Amino acid sequence: MSRPLALWLAAALLALAAGCSSPVLNRGSPAQARLTEAEARAAALARSGDYGGAARFYGEALRIATSLENADAIAANAINLSIVNQWLGRDAQARDALAAVLDAPRVNFSERRKIQTELRRAILELAGGNLGAATLWAGEAERHCAQTSCEYAATLLNVRAQIELESGRPAEAARLAQAAAERSRGEAGRAEAANALRILGRSRIAAGEPSAAFEPLRSALDIDRELGDPRKILADLAELARAADAAGDADGARRYQERSVAVSRAMHEAKSGAEMEVLLRR
Amino acid sequence: MSKPLPSGRFSRLVLKVNVFLLIALAMVGGFMGLVAYKQGWLVHQSPLHFVTANALGINKGMPVKLHGFTIGQVGELSLAEGGVDVQLSILGQYLPRIPQGSFARHARESGVIGTAVIDIVPGRSMMPLAEGALIPFEPARGVSEIIDEFRRQAVPAFNEIKQAMAQVGRSGEDISRILAALRQEVEQLPATHRAVRELVQQTTKATLELNRQAGATLAAAERAAGTVEQAVPLLSTKIDAAATQLKKTGEEAQATLKSARPLLDQGESAAREAGDVLSAAKRVWPLADSFKDSSDGMLPIDSFEAQGRGRGR
Repeated sequence: MSRPLALWLAAALLALAAGCSSPVLNRGSPAQARLTEAEARAAALARSGDYGGAARFYGEALRIATSLENADAIAANAINLSIVNQWLGRDAQARDALAAVLDAPRVNFSERRKIQTELRRAILELAGGNLGAATLWAGEAERHCAQTSCEYAATLLNVRAQIELESGRPAEAARLAQAAAERSRGEAGRAEAANALRILGRSRIAAGEPSAAFEPLRSALDIDRELGDPRKILADLAELARAADAAGDADGARRYQERSVAVSRAMHEAKSGAEMEVLLRR
Repeated sequence: MSKPLPSGRFSRLVLKVNVFLLIALAMVGGFMGLVAYKQGWLVHQSPLHFVTANALGINKGMPVKLHGFTIGQVGELSLAEGGVDVQLSILGQYLPRIPQGSFARHARESGVIGTAVIDIVPGRSMMPLAEGALIPFEPARGVSEIIDEFRRQAVPAFNEIKQAMAQVGRSGEDISRILAALRQEVEQLPATHRAVRELVQQTTKATLELNRQAGATLAAAERAAGTVEQAVPLLSTKIDAAATQLKKTGEEAQATLKSARPLLDQGESAAREAGDVLSAAKRVWPLADSFKDSSDGMLPIDSFEAQGRGRGR
C-alpha cells in the first residue's frame, strides 16, 4: 500500500471514529452533575408526594439544562414541571413551563419531545375548559404523531374523545374512546386503557344509554384497582353511581356513592398524612 | 500586432456547438435514466398495507423481504384508527408470489440484532394477494422482552439453587459438628482399648490368686479366663480396624464438604455475573436501544389529567 493511500485511509478511519463517538461534553462536568442530582431529587420528592419540593427541583433542573443547551433535558424537565404544577393546582405556571419548548422554535427538540409537550398543553387546556385551544394543540400533537412512530396515540385519542364529549358529541367520543382502548393494549398502556373505558362509559351515559355504560366502567374500575390509583377509582365509582342513577337503580347508585365516599375519605386522610410527613421532614 | 486566425478554424462552429450540446444532453438524460432505473421509478410498484398498534422501529424505506429476498420497501406511514397504517411498496413482478393469507412481521436479519426488515411470511393459499390488500401484522419481540422473559424464568431457578446450596451449606455445618464429635470418640478408642487390656490383666492376676486359694474350683475359673484372654485380643483388633475405617470416612466426608462449599460460592457468583452480563449488554451499542427504559425519568403523561382532577392527587 502506497504511503499517501495509507495516510488517506488513516484519516478516513479517524473521521469515522470521531463520527461514531457519542458526545461526552457535559457528562462529567459539575453542571451536568448538578442537573442529574436536581432531576433525581425532584423525582424522589414527586414519588413521596412532596409536589412543592418536586416543582422547585424540576425548576432548578430546567434552569441548569437551559444553561447547558441540553435540548432533551430542557423538554423533559419542562414537561415534568408542568405536570407537577398541575397537580398543585397552578395551571398558569403549568402552562408557562411548557413555553420553554413551545416558544423556542430555534431549539432542535426531538419529535418525541414535541409530541409530549403539545399533548401536555392539550391536556392542560382541556382541564381548564378551553376546548378550542385543546383541539388546536391535540391537532398539532397528532400531526407530529403521524410523522413518526408514535407511542402516545392512545393518550391522544383519549384527549380527543374527551374534547368531543365536552363538545356534546357523545357518539364521536365513544368511537374515539373505543379506538383508544384498542390501541392501548399491553402492560404499558393499561392506564390509558382504563381512561378509554371510563370515557366510553361516560359517553354512553351522555348518549342516554346508562345500562350500556356499566361494563366499560366496571372494567375501568378493575384496571384502576390493579394499578392502585385512588383518584381514578374514585372517578370510576362516581361514574358508576351516575350510571346506576340514570338507569333508575337508586339502591345501586347509593352503594356506589357510599364506596366513593369511603375512598374519598381515605384519600384525604392519606393526603393529610403525607403532608404531615413532608412538614416533619422540613 | 495581432496574427490573423487560420482560415477554417471557426468554420461550422454552430454545428460543433450543437453536437457538443447534444452529447451533453444525452449524457444527462442517460444519467437520469440510470438513477430512475436504480431507484425503481420505472418499475411498477404494487402497494400492500397493514395496520399496527405500535409502529416503533418501522421506518420509511425499510426493506420488505420474502424468503429473505428484498421485494420492496416500506412506503408511507400514517396515523389511522386503531394504529398506524403502514404502506408497503412491492415490486409489481413479485406481488403474484405473495399468496393470500400471508402476513407481515417485524424481524431482524441476524435474529436479535442486525438490520430491521419487514418479513412477509407467505400463507398457504394458491391465490395471490390483490394489489392494495390489507395484510395482518405481527410485531416483533424486542431484546428487552426476550431478556425479561429469560430473567422471569431464570430468577426463580437461581433462587431455588441458592436456597438449596444454602441448605447444603447448613447441613454441611451440622455434619462437620457430628464428625468432629465422632473423631473425638475415635481418638479416645485406644485409651479405652488400653483400659480394657489392663482390666483383663488384672482379672488374670485375680484369677491366679484365687486359683492358689481354691483348688478345683479355680481350675474351672482358669479355663474361663484363658478363653476370655483369647477373645479379647481378637476383639481389640476388630475395634482398631473399625476405628481406622471411621477415621478415613470422616476425612473423606470433610473433603467432600470442602469441595461442595465452593459450589455455593460459584452459584452465587454465577447469579451475580449473570446480572453483570445483563447490565453490560444494556450498555452495548447495538442492544442499547432495545433496553431503553420506557419512563426515561418522565412523569406519566396521562389523559386523566384532562378531566381537571389532577389536582386532587
